[in-house]
Amino acid sequence: MNQPLIDLVNISKSFDGELVLDDLNLSVKENSFVTLLGPSGCGKTTTLRIIGGFITPDQGKVIFNGEDITRMPPNKRQLNTVFQKYALFTHMSIAENIAFGLKIKGKSKDYINDKIKYALKLVNLDGYENRSVDSLSGGQQQRIAIARAIVNEPKLLLLDEPLGALDLKLRQDMQYELIRLKNELGITFVYVTHDQEEALTMSDTIVVMNQGYIQQMGTPEQIYNEPENAFVADFIGESNIVNGIMLRDELVEIFGAKFACVDKGFGTNTPVDVVIRPEDIDLVEPEQGTLQGVVTHLIFKGVHYEMEVTTPDGYEWLVHSTDMFPVGRKVGIHVDPFDIQIMNKPASEDEEAVGVNE
Amino acid sequence: MSMAHAKLKRFFQDFYLVLVLIFLYAPIVVMMVLSFNSSKSRSQWGGFTFQWYQQMFESTAIMEALYNTLLIAFLSALIATILGTAAAIGINSMKKLPKTIFMGINNIPMLNSEIVTGISLMLMFIAFGVSLGFKTILLAHITFNVPYVMMNVLPKLKQTSKYTYEAAMDLGAGPIQAFFKVVFPDIMPGVLSGFLMAFTMSLDDFIITHFTRGAGINTLSTLIYSEVRRGIKPSMYALSTVIFVTVLLLLLITNFAPNRSTVKNAQAAAAGVMPGEKKPNRFGEFVQKGILIATSFFIIVGVCYTTYRHIAVKHSDELYVYNWGEYIDESVIEQFEEETGIKVTYDMFETNEEMYPIIEAGAVQYDVVCPSDYMIQKMAENDLLAELNFENIPNLEYIDPVYMEKSQSFDPQNKYSVPYTWGTVGILYNTKRLEELGAPVPTKWSDLWDERYRGEILMQDSVRDAFMVALKMKGYSLNSTDPAQLEEAKDLLLAQKPLVQAYVVDQVRDKMLNGEAAIGVIYSGELLYLQEEAESLGLDYELNYVMPEEGTNIWIDSWVIPYNARNKENAEKWINFLCRPDIALKNFEYITYATPNTGALELMDEEYRENTSVFPDTSKLTNSEVFQYLGTEADDLYNRLWKQIKSQ
Repeated sequence: MNQPLIDLVNISKSFDGELVLDDLNLSVKENSFVTLLGPSGCGKTTTLRIIGGFITPDQGKVIFNGEDITRMPPNKRQLNTVFQKYALFTHMSIAENIAFGLKIKGKSKDYINDKIKYALKLVNLDGYENRSVDSLSGGQQQRIAIARAIVNEPKLLLLDEPLGALDLKLRQDMQYELIRLKNELGITFVYVTHDQEEALTMSDTIVVMNQGYIQQMGTPEQIYNEPENAFVADFIGESNIVNGIMLRDELVEIFGAKFACVDKGFGTNTPVDVVIRPEDIDLVEPEQGTLQGVVTHLIFKGVHYEMEVTTPDGYEWLVHSTDMFPVGRKVGIHVDPFDIQIMNKPASEDEEAVGVNE
Repeated sequence: MSMAHAKLKRFFQDFYLVLVLIFLYAPIVVMMVLSFNSSKSRSQWGGFTFQWYQQMFESTAIMEALYNTLLIAFLSALIATILGTAAAIGINSMKKLPKTIFMGINNIPMLNSEIVTGISLMLMFIAFGVSLGFKTILLAHITFNVPYVMMNVLPKLKQTSKYTYEAAMDLGAGPIQAFFKVVFPDIMPGVLSGFLMAFTMSLDDFIITHFTRGAGINTLSTLIYSEVRRGIKPSMYALSTVIFVTVLLLLLITNFAPNRSTVKNAQAAAAGVMPGEKKPNRFGEFVQKGILIATSFFIIVGVCYTTYRHIAVKHSDELYVYNWGEYIDESVIEQFEEETGIKVTYDMFETNEEMYPIIEAGAVQYDVVCPSDYMIQKMAENDLLAELNFENIPNLEYIDPVYMEKSQSFDPQNKYSVPYTWGTVGILYNTKRLEELGAPVPTKWSDLWDERYRGEILMQDSVRDAFMVALKMKGYSLNSTDPAQLEEAKDLLLAQKPLVQAYVVDQVRDKMLNGEAAIGVIYSGELLYLQEEAESLGLDYELNYVMPEEGTNIWIDSWVIPYNARNKENAEKWINFLCRPDIALKNFEYITYATPNTGALELMDEEYRENTSVFPDTSKLTNSEVFQYLGTEADDLYNRLWKQIKSQ
């Protein structure tokens, strides 16, 4: 639908001989909210810093709006970054912080003043012009950092774990704030986080990364519901990942019990990984279930109960349900066919890391 | 009980505090008080005066040294600040291991003994053929200042988030812009305190400056040191007071200025108040602006003055003079420059031993030097002297032949030296005190063994002077190296020891002025000053001098030309000029040491000429001798015997 705004082509980068990014390809469409998600050390921040111009890749090209900007210094790029620790200039007032980029570009005083007012309004901090940085709370500082970036009208805004230092409540508020900002401004966002919930809440597209590779790229729903490998399944939300044997199309055997599913094309009698989300398991009377087990653990979580059901083979199934079954109760396990996700087993650890590389 | 205990504890705490303060500050207070004392004495209060301060500001030597000190302190601090800040930034971005190594390398010079730094810098300059002078002092100061700047800047850099620099770049600033707009303001307090610390260190430094300075350049510390020879002049107290107050002020600024802003912030944070307005730190800004203005002012003035000096005083003819401190009337130098058009670079030393290695090393090529007798002998023996061309020194006719003859003991053919000042060693006595003791006026050395003077005798605390007394008393040569004679002298001095109040050097003067002792061995050069001072203090006793009958040490300081002089003819012009009667008179009136110049003697006030203390009857000098250099073996023997005397 849209033109790609930024294209990373065959990017490789290593630090001190350690490969951080290996032949990475990523395309970000204009006006999208893309989140790079992964555990620390997966290469997501490095990718962001390569786009920002703070790191030059060893190999590959960065194409921005059709122009090769691989070796362009950060101050020449038409994009701005919101840093993890805000990086506000403490010796300047709020207004001076926001005006920094505009002053360097030589904008007129009136223009700058208008922009400051506008930006402060946008981040809900009207009238804070003359405050000092130190007098603001973490959330306020973060909003100033965003205001400082967006007054420059960048085509692309890079956000490096901008909410990492905030507490839970504030973080949730800021998530909505960011979505609102993006919609109002029409800027492309590339967002880095290790928090899967944040990624699922805000993004149009999530890029799951691990060990320098892109594991999966897709909409939040795709990523959550159809993880392409065990890593993604494990990293996004909670999952039961068990060994299974694909007996034939649409039938999988788990711990000796046969489950109907919707997946095809795995051949016959193929060992596979089976992913079942905890909330997709229905606990029923023992005789009605495909598998039988005993409730061994029970915690009340507010919205639902979290239970562990141990089946005779010893596996502890994680189950989320609004119905409560006490510990010691015998139950049956039932899963609807479309809630079962079948994945090929990786041949080795390495392959697991490589995963899917579009 | 416990109350009493607490009180006692309190008392001891206060007592301790007071004790510490006294030990630390009493000397400085004494010096400050003395700087306002109209008497030159260190123990008599002669009334309040500003005259020493006035004298200080009128002295071109002091003002030039002050200018040098400030310029060097400022330039070295500025350059060290730039270098040190750049280095700190570099080190800060290093990985841990190289960082540790570089920090270590940085810290060693600060811990290193200054004398080692000084000597090694001097050696390096000489080895690479850099002539010692203003630029070598400046280089040395920059060298030792850089680590202090780094020490101040690094912690600030560590506190600074590297992301602010990146943020500035991200917002469109180039690397240099980003540094000055964002990083620099953050580390500014560190840079500033680094600069001030470097400035203070440079202002303070003596040892390194001493080794790396060359001809004609003095900073305040080296100037003060070279003036010590004749006893410190009160204008030096004034100067030291000014330095102390300046350093104190700088320290206060360094410690106070940055603290104020942090305290303010901390207070605001602690109170949890969110100030509605960002209050700019007026005081800090004021200090910063003030320093900026002062800085630019210094640079402009410095550059102007330096260029002015280079352009205006560009003489084709030069002369490098190396003389004792306080050993010439400064107007004589100006007069010489005016009359001959030769530019004089004038430099001072404090002891013969300090002067000798500098001439020997050739680090600074002086054209004319004024050493003492025995040192001239040593220099001649080591081929360090050039023969004088007496055709260029017609005024030699005014020098009394007696002194040329006496000079032959160290300059056998009168080839190398022309006498400048001379004097004797004799006995000073307090008329009133002698009356009280019922003791006769001393006339000979042996009187110093008279029981009636018990506890009233001051002896010179120097080996050759002490042995001279005993050797002359026995009728031996004061240059004797005969172990038997020296052994005999030692026994004599040991026998005299119970009668001696103290072995001292400079204090003979003050102790005699204060009436603390009846008789003392003294250099005749001190006499005019002593007698004038006694008169101005209105003492009810006279201090008189006698040259002992047995003969004594006569010392002569003479002008010589080193072998490596580059302006030998100018040096001879200089010597000739100083031998002119009117000039010799001027110098005599300033130095007050006896002059060998007959012409000057004729022009002199009768009062002086007939002062037998200053100008003893030359016929009486027949038994007197000049000290000679005796060689290391004899030196060792003297020192060993002297130690035995002192330790018993």
